[in-house]
Amino acid sequence: MKLIKSLHKWLSVLVALQLLVWLGSGLFFNLMDHSKARGNEYRIKAPESVAIEHERLLEPSVLLKRQTKNVNSIKQIKLLDQPYYLLNHSRGLYDHFYNEYTLLNAHTGKLKVIDDVMATKLAQQTYGGNAAISSSNKISSPFDDFPKEKNAAWQINFDDELNTSVYIDASSGRLVGHSNDDKRFADFFFMLHFMDYGTVGGFNNWQIIFFALLTLLFCITGFIWTLELLIEGRYKTSRES
Amino acid sequence: MSWHRTSRKYHKWLMLFVGLQFVIWSISGTYMVILDIDYIHGDTLVTDKQISLKSGQVNYSMAKLYIEYPKAKNVELTNMLDTAVYRFKDSENKYLLSADTGKSLLPLSEADAVKVAKYLYEDANVAISQVSLISENPPFELSARHLPVWRIDFDDFASPSFYISVNSGELVTKRHTYWRLFDWMFSFHVMDYVEEDPSNKLLLLVSIFALIASLFGVVLTYFRVLKPKKRRAV
Repeated sequence: MKLIKSLHKWLSVLVALQLLVWLGSGLFFNLMDHSKARGNEYRIKAPESVAIEHERLLEPSVLLKRQTKNVNSIKQIKLLDQPYYLLNHSRGLYDHFYNEYTLLNAHTGKLKVIDDVMATKLAQQTYGGNAAISSSNKISSPFDDFPKEKNAAWQINFDDELNTSVYIDASSGRLVGHSNDDKRFADFFFMLHFMDYGTVGGFNNWQIIFFALLTLLFCITGFIWTLELLIEGRYKTSRES
Repeated sequence: MSWHRTSRKYHKWLMLFVGLQFVIWSISGTYMVILDIDYIHGDTLVTDKQISLKSGQVNYSMAKLYIEYPKAKNVELTNMLDTAVYRFKDSENKYLLSADTGKSLLPLSEADAVKVAKYLYEDANVAISQVSLISENPPFELSARHLPVWRIDFDDFASPSFYISVNSGELVTKRHTYWRLFDWMFSFHVMDYVEEDPSNKLLLLVSIFALIASLFGVVLTYFRVLKPKKRRAV
């Protein structure tokens, strides 16, 4: 029992600060506005665009004959009311994993590269606020707002009070997501809770495993101590405790 | 009462009520940080097949498809079981057609579901232990919106299951023992004991008392570690 108490005392020195951070950030998650923390304050659904003229679509089999690269799939998509074929050359398990695409005009078969202008228009389609665009940059992964995204993206920044940023996958035109200061504020607490100091967007790091194990031992020794106090009848409602 | 005695008293009493949750937090937290989240989500169970489409596989044209399905949206030419298929949807349903003949492959038969499952599973030599059709009362791990599905259980480490949609032929979700356990651990970690309580007042209350109890604990650490001599004086 002496060992248990001694362990509890010395472990408290090691884990105290982190434990307070965990409790404090945990409390924050409980109290925070979950809808704001998603960063979608100004996100709207892109308007349902005009019907495509499918009579004019090129046949996918024709595109396949022209391609020299391996093609996993050909998807008929619409970007800014214009039909495209999205050819996948390297498929990740999820959209945000590394994927390699070619975007072709579905009527002419011409290669389309998503440039600044197009990315900006795509971002504006999903933005319901009134603010103007302050800047747009093509960025490679990883980026802070979406640390798990593995593809290069266009970052479109809006000049609103929340500093909204919209991310568009640079090769496919897919909306990666919206982020803003509310989300960044919440993300800071997730970073603290997960001890994710390298901000990789996860909680499987060595420092948290180390502290988790110490804390586990700390809590178990404390629990045994409490049980001992109970068994010894040290929980009395009188003043003498 | 001195700070030391007050802290000892309140630390002792508060921990009588929240101490168990501290043990639960540390066990569930440790579990979640040690097991790799990508493993937990079953990413290692499925193969990432890169299969090249050949134009010879496509004998049913896109033009024909639009004549038969004028409301088709997001048409995708892709691969399933080493053959070319079209996947698309309209406002109500999902479709899966052979790109060779245009024949619908839905609703997915049991035999096809088994083939798809084996095709996607990372180890081709693993046997299937059970196949069942779930049309209602989904288990805890499956969202009702995916119904109906084929559940394919594999005879492998950690008892993996694949859920394959009858109406789309897609792998909608997967589970294995450690993921199932992870779901439980998460529920315990956020004290999700009372169903249908999104505000989770219980967690809030316990967190506040836990924080207060810990602050008294910090005071105790101060007196017993940094000022051990004072202890005698009290």
